[in-house]
Amino acid sequence: MSFFNSGLFWFIQGIFVCLIVVGFKIWMEDREIPMPFWKWLLLGIWVLLFGFTIAFVGTNLGEKEPQAALLGGIVFGLIAIITAVGLWRLLLIGKNPKK
Amino acid sequence: MNRRQFLKTTGAASAALGSVGLGFFGYEAGRDPESYTGWELHEGALQTFNRKRYAKDQPHYKRVGTTSRPDARTDVIFYRRGDFMRNWKDETGIEGLPEHLQAYYKKYPDVLEQDIYQMKEVFPKMRVDYQKYRDKFILASAWSNAMGAVSPQPINQPPEESDFPRKRRFGGTTEPLKMKSPEKTSKLIKQIAHQLGSTLVGIAKLNPDWVYSYPMRGRGFEPDKPVAIPEHWQYAVVVGTPMSWDPMYANPNFGTSNDAYSRSRIVAFRVASFIKQLGYAARPHTPGTSYDLMVPPIAIDAGLGEQGRHGVMITPELGCNIRPAIITTNIPLVPDKPIDFGVQSFCKTCKICAEQCPSGAIPFGDRVEVRGYQRYKIDTEKCHTFWNQNLGNMGCRICIAVCPYTRKANWLHKAALQVSANDPTGISHSVLTGLQKRFYPGPDPQKYYSPSFGGENASFRKPPWWLRAEDFIEF
Ligand code: SF4
Ligand code: SF4
Repeated sequence: MSFFNSGLFWFIQGIFVCLIVVGFKIWMEDREIPMPFWKWLLLGIWVLLFGFTIAFVGTNLGEKEPQAALLGGIVFGLIAIITAVGLWRLLLIGKNPKK
Repeated sequence: MNRRQFLKTTGAASAALGSVGLGFFGYEAGRDPESYTGWELHEGALQTFNRKRYAKDQPHYKRVGTTSRPDARTDVIFYRRGDFMRNWKDETGIEGLPEHLQAYYKKYPDVLEQDIYQMKEVFPKMRVDYQKYRDKFILASAWSNAMGAVSPQPINQPPEESDFPRKRRFGGTTEPLKMKSPEKTSKLIKQIAHQLGSTLVGIAKLNPDWVYSYPMRGRGFEPDKPVAIPEHWQYAVVVGTPMSWDPMYANPNFGTSNDAYSRSRIVAFRVASFIKQLGYAARPHTPGTSYDLMVPPIAIDAGLGEQGRHGVMITPELGCNIRPAIITTNIPLVPDKPIDFGVQSFCKTCKICAEQCPSGAIPFGDRVEVRGYQRYKIDTEKCHTFWNQNLGNMGCRICIAVCPYTRKANWLHKAALQVSANDPTGISHSVLTGLQKRFYPGPDPQKYYSPSFGGENASFRKPPWWLRAEDFIEF
């Protein structure tokens, strides 16, 4: 078992997630964009999709399946980009127009 | 930098680092030797699938007609083809064969044609190819033979003699010990089987339809006399271990069945010895060819898995990468229930094994009646002929390697298994099949053949570094 498969790795990832949430919250506050519960939920789902894409590519490279890594990266990556654009528009709902 | 700016920057840095970390996690998960699951743990820790949730009262194969027992002399192809080659003479033709073979070939003339084709065309061509191309597989062959080099003494006495405990020292009794309950005994036997090296364990009540009507040679039965099923064969304990994963993906030529055969054989003899020491009867039925019964349907009855389109049992933990063995016994046990975790529905859409099978032995169509039961039936003659048309280790195993269920035990494939096992609509089965075909394709099946048959000695995936003979031996 390597570091990246260990409990310590997931502990550190957990800290990263907390920092991301705090940083993102402040960033959105600075832009006066409200973040109700449903926006956090959608954002969480998108983060899972994004994380899945990265881990999918990595796992298939590790399994020596480059075709799956490439195709998966393209297909899921495109889905992640397209949904990110849609998600950003949804996140902007309720933004103070002056800012 | 103020506090807010600092937190924003830290958040952005965390996002970047976390994403990179996920990529590395995935890479490690993909290459982690611990995801080559199966034989390395002896604690049963790998039999992880919650079978109770998928238990059914009846197995997925259905009784659809009058059932009959298989005849080892003709229905077991290795046995029949061996007999055929020993006895065939061109001058006397079919009339010169033993009676049971005559009757069989008269009933199935196309099988006779295929058996003759193998003997007269396949073997001479393969002798030539062997001289030309065999070097590539020297390490694979040495490794395979080494795995099979250690074996328990074969059983060659009838069940009444061999299955019962021997006299103990110091006047110790061979009477059966009084077990507290079949439930407790089942739990004990399963844990002992894991401790003795089995990856998966299940228990079935022995269905007499799976016992050969006529015996294999060398098992203590009188040849050419019907097998009367001994009364003490009441239960079947099914054990099994996987083949080494990297060579298995490099089939049909670099992989071997010998490694898992050898491990499962040793486990079965150990479990039989344990049961005998409790004073009960036990008889191991072990791979390659030391059985008095058919193993896969019993393993299915014991809830270890379901039969796939390729005729092989698919388990949730190891896919089809499992080589089972059986111990018949009279120690009172509680049988497990068969399971349904979606394989029948998956196989309806998938058909990858049928597309990848070089010999065309796997059906694209539906299940058919075989000796009274509905199941997928592969063309064993075509399959076995291909075994002799590739130069690596004996056998083929491509259908095992390409099956989407035969995947490493990492997060990705475990998640896919859970999705397909819990999808009653079958939609995920079509989606996963589509992904499997595009993301993990194999070569043109013709390339698996030896050059004399228009092939390139190809394998499904590259062999692991330690089986690449050209990297170690000067030719
Ligand atoms: S072992 Fe090979 S030839 Fe036989 S059914 Fe499987 S893929 Fe086909
Ligand atoms: S390859 Fe597909 S069709 Fe064949 S046994 Fe596996 S799941 Fe079923």
